[in-house]
Amino acid sequence: MSGVEETSNEPLQVKEDQEFDVEAEDHLGDDYVVDPTRYMFYRDRKEWADLEAVPQDDGPNPVVKIAYSEKFSDVYDYFRALLKNDEKSERAFALTADAIDLNAANYTVWHYRRVLLQGLSKDLREEMRYITAIIEEQPKNYQVWHHRRMVVEWLNDPSEELEFIADILSQDAKNYHAWQHRQWVIQEYKLWDDELEFVENLLEEDVRNNSAWNQRHFVISHTTGFSDAAIMEREIQYCLNQIKKAPHNESAWNYLKGMLQDRGMSSQPGLLERVLELKETHCSPYLLAFLFDCYEDALENSVQKENAEEDEWKETLKKALEICELLAQEKDTIRKEY
Amino acid sequence: MAEEESQFEEFEQIDFLRDRHVRFFQRTLQVLPERYASLETTRLTIIFFALSGLDVLDALDVIDRNTMIEWIYSLQVLPTEDQSNLSRCGFRGSSHIGIPYSTKGPGVLHPYDSGHVAMTYTGLCSLLILGDDLSRVNKHACLAGLRALQLEDGSFYAVPEGSENDIRFIYCAASICYMLDDWSGMDIQKAIEYIRGSLSYDNGFGQGAGRESHGGWTYCAIASLCLMGRLEEALSRRELDRIRRWCIMRQQSGFHGRPNKPVDTCYSFWVGATLELLDVFQYTNFDRNRSFILSTQDRLVGGFAKWPDSHPDPLHAYLGLCGLSLIGEPNLRKVHPALNITQRAFQHLQQLQQTWRDSTGSCSRQH
Repeated sequence: MSGVEETSNEPLQVKEDQEFDVEAEDHLGDDYVVDPTRYMFYRDRKEWADLEAVPQDDGPNPVVKIAYSEKFSDVYDYFRALLKNDEKSERAFALTADAIDLNAANYTVWHYRRVLLQGLSKDLREEMRYITAIIEEQPKNYQVWHHRRMVVEWLNDPSEELEFIADILSQDAKNYHAWQHRQWVIQEYKLWDDELEFVENLLEEDVRNNSAWNQRHFVISHTTGFSDAAIMEREIQYCLNQIKKAPHNESAWNYLKGMLQDRGMSSQPGLLERVLELKETHCSPYLLAFLFDCYEDALENSVQKENAEEDEWKETLKKALEICELLAQEKDTIRKEY
Repeated sequence: MAEEESQFEEFEQIDFLRDRHVRFFQRTLQVLPERYASLETTRLTIIFFALSGLDVLDALDVIDRNTMIEWIYSLQVLPTEDQSNLSRCGFRGSSHIGIPYSTKGPGVLHPYDSGHVAMTYTGLCSLLILGDDLSRVNKHACLAGLRALQLEDGSFYAVPEGSENDIRFIYCAASICYMLDDWSGMDIQKAIEYIRGSLSYDNGFGQGAGRESHGGWTYCAIASLCLMGRLEEALSRRELDRIRRWCIMRQQSGFHGRPNKPVDTCYSFWVGATLELLDVFQYTNFDRNRSFILSTQDRLVGGFAKWPDSHPDPLHAYLGLCGLSLIGEPNLRKVHPALNITQRAFQHLQQLQQTWRDSTGSCSRQH
C-alpha cells in the first residue's frame, strides 16, 4: 500500500480512534492506552475483541483477485463479521464509514449503513452532510447518489437538493447522475418554478450542453407543454437565436426537430424560410439534415393528401436529393454512405 | 524522406497489437492492485470482459477453463434447504460478503447475501464462453430472483435489497431470460413500456423517462427489444428510422455517447452494435472508426482506453475489440451484437438450448 494513502487516511483514523477511546476509557478504565499517532487495526482494538473477523474466501484459484493492503482487509474482515451477525450498533455504524472510505462503490456497505441509520434512529441531517461530502469527492458513483435519494425521501425534505446539484454541475455540467437526481427531485417534489431559468443560465455558459437542452425539454413538457402556439414560437425563436450564436450545435437542432417531428416538420409557417436564410450564413450538417427532414415530411404528406401539384412534389424531391449530395460530398462526409 | 517516415508512423499507429491484448486480459484475470478496489463487487463483470475479450481474440487457450468455471459457480447464490431465499438467488459479483467458498448447494443462509442482476448476466455469459453446459445453474432460482427485481414501471433493480432502477438492468434481465430460454423471469410488456417511455425527443434512449439520450442506454433499449423478439412490435418504422439517425450521428471519428461530448472507444461498440442491430452499421465510416479505436490502444501494456493517451481498463479493452470486430478487423471473432458474446459462444448456447428442448419434459434442476 502506498505511503501516500497511509498518511492521507491517518488523521481521520486517529480522530475516530480517539473518539472511540474516550468511550472505551469510560468502560475499561485508565489502563487502556493508545498512541494517538498510530492507526490501529480493528483486530487490535479491545472493543472489537468479541468479534471474529471473516476473511474473504475466493477458494483455491481466485480470479481477478484484488491485492488488498492489511488495513483494507482488516476493515472489511470486520465488516463481514458484522454483516454475518446482522449487528446493529454504533460501532457497526462507525465501521461503515471506514469501509466506505476504502471503497465507496460497495453497495452492500451502503445498504447496511441504511439499515443502521433506521435501526439506530441516527440523525439524518448529519447523514445529509456526510453524503454531501462523499458525493463532492466521488460524483460519478451510483451508490452515493442512490443513498442521498433514500435520505432525502426519509426526511421528505428536498430543500437542499437543487443548490447541491447545481454545485456538482458547476464542476461537471454534464454529470448524468446529477441530472438524473435533479429530475427526480423536481418531479417528486414539484419544484418546477425556477428550473427553466436554471437551464437558460447553463445554456448561457455553454450553449452546447446537451444535458441542459434535455432539461429544457423536460421542464417544458411537464409544465406548459408544447401544444400552445405561443410556447412553440418562443421555443423556435430561442433555438434559432442559439443557432445563430453557435451554428455547429447538434443539441439545438435536435431540440428544434424534436419539438416538431410529431406535429409535422412543415407545420410551422415560415420556419422553412427562416432555416433557408440561415443556410447561407450559419450552415451545418444539422441544418441540412433539418431541411432534408422538412422536405421528406412535405413529400410524405403530399402523397397522403394528394392535393399537391406534381411539379411541386418533384421540386421538393430534387431539393431533398441535392441536400443529400451536399452532405455526402462536402458537409458531412463521414456519413456519406448513409 | 519525410513522407516515408510519416507513412511508417501511420503504420505503427494503426498496427493492431494482438499479443499485447492477450497478455492484458491474462493479467486482468490474475491480480489487480488495490487501487482497483472499487471493482470488488463487480469482479464477475471484469472476468466477463477478460474472457470474452480473449474469446474475440481467439485466445481462450491461455487460461485454465475448469478453475474459472469452478470459481464462477462459487458465486452462485443457491436456494437454502427451506428455499426461503429464492427471491434473492442469482450470482454474486464476488466473495465480498464472506460466504465460504463452495460450488455446491444448498445455499448458506445469510442476512445480506443475494444475487446482482448484472452479475447473473455476466456469470452466465462467462460460463457459456468457457464451454460450460449450465447444468449447475439453478435456473428456477435465477428466474425467481429475477422476477423479484422488476418494478411496477417495468424497470429492474440490481439487487433485491433495492438500488437504483433503470434500463441497464432491463437489458441484463432480457439477456438472462434469453440465455436460459425462459421468459417467465420478467414481464415483457411492462419492460417494453419502460423502454418506450425512455425514448427521448431527440430519438435516442435515456436511462429512463425524461432523461438525456445516451449511447449506452440506447444499446440497452434496442438490444433488449431484439432479444425479446419485439423490436418491430415495440417501435414503428418511423421511430426506428429516427433512432437510426440519432445513432449514426454519434460518429465523429470514433463514436461518442451523447451529442457534444467527446468520442470514447466503448461507444464504438454500444452505438456500433445498435446500428448493426438496426441494419445500418454498413453506412458508417469504418476507416475513421478504426483509426480512433486504435489511437486509444496502449502499445506498452495492451488493452484500450476511452481516449488516446489514457490508461487502459478491462471494459474499454473489451469493447474496443468488439468495436473492431464489428468493422471486420481480421483475426477477430465476430460478436453477437445483442448478447455481446462471440458468435462462437452464441452457437454453443444455441446447441445447449436445443438439447434442453429435446430432453423429454422440462426439469427445474434443484441442487
